[in-house]
Amino acid sequence: MTRSSLLALAAALAFAVAIVASARRLRTDERHTLVWLLVCAAIAGLAIWRHAIDVLAAAMGIYYAPSALFFLCCGALLWLVFRQSLEVARQREQIRRLAQEVALLAAQVTPDGAAGRSDAGPAASREG
Amino acid sequence: MRTLVILLGYEEEAAIGQTVAEAARALPGADLLVVDDGSSDRTAEAARAAGARVVRHPFNLGVAAAEATGLRWAVRRGYAAAVRMDGDGQHDPASAPALLEAIAEGAELAVGTRFASVESFRSNALRRAGNRLLSSVVSALSGQPFTDPTSGFRAFGGRALPYFAEHFPHDYPEPESLLWACRRGFRVVELPVRMRPRTSGESSLGPFASAYYMVKVSLALGLELLGSGTASEPPTP
Repeated sequence: MTRSSLLALAAALAFAVAIVASARRLRTDERHTLVWLLVCAAIAGLAIWRHAIDVLAAAMGIYYAPSALFFLCCGALLWLVFRQSLEVARQREQIRRLAQEVALLAAQVTPDGAAGRSDAGPAASREG
Repeated sequence: MRTLVILLGYEEEAAIGQTVAEAARALPGADLLVVDDGSSDRTAEAARAAGARVVRHPFNLGVAAAEATGLRWAVRRGYAAAVRMDGDGQHDPASAPALLEAIAEGAELAVGTRFASVESFRSNALRRAGNRLLSSVVSALSGQPFTDPTSGFRAFGGRALPYFAEHFPHDYPEPESLLWACRRGFRVVELPVRMRPRTSGESSLGPFASAYYMVKVSLALGLELLGSGTASEPPTP
């Protein structure tokens, strides 16, 4: 096994340890943990079976093998970022709803209807 | 008809007191609610001092959310109608009774337009061209003619009141919510109102923001045409 393979294997292992560690502290849910562990397995697999990329590239009709890897990585990252942006939008909506409810409840229970002052300072008058 | 006047205020401590007082004079039978959209100045205190109930967002949520908060208050307190105005005094409260009258006569959304009559100010060429473009787009998509789709001076009643308490578009809500209302089959009318130049504060849109706004709204309207997720939810009873 070459040094570069060992390096990739070590990186995959370290990544896997980090994933399991944060899963144990409940910072990620099972679905994400599983996906990330599969990513680790893929990295380890490519490190051990060095010609996997060549086989993959040939199957995809790509002459220069590393291009196949770039293509797959970019695709995976794009998908991931897209999912994240959906999640951010969903949570933004939830936070908005919560803030509205807090404001309405505060106006009901306190005579002056004040729901604490923001520390965030002034933002744009119409949020963009 | 129990009526709530919703004034939206963000950083409006200079103008909100006078706006509240003016609204109280113009609509003596109505209750006044100021939605303070997370101002860092004394908007809430000034509104309270002028005699309005105040709902205060803990941080800035945008004008669409502020409108929805006000409407939610109206729904939960059993109001039959609500009229929404800007807290900076641009919307002349003297025009509000006409909008509410339309609601009383069966309209569910009454939109005040500054172009059907009286003076149009607030206008540079770009903005007016933008408004004309938006008007034609909204009119075409809704199948009903509108001259001022960005107007926020509106009265809500019937099904529109609970609907818009729960559903609101992001960011710049007016043209989109107008289209939503038409698509849901709400009875929508447009009436001439008087609007005035701002007495304080500054406009929320510069030229670049205006152009960006046009692009975003066009996209949102286009998505509505395709039947986007939020807009196609059934109205909440």
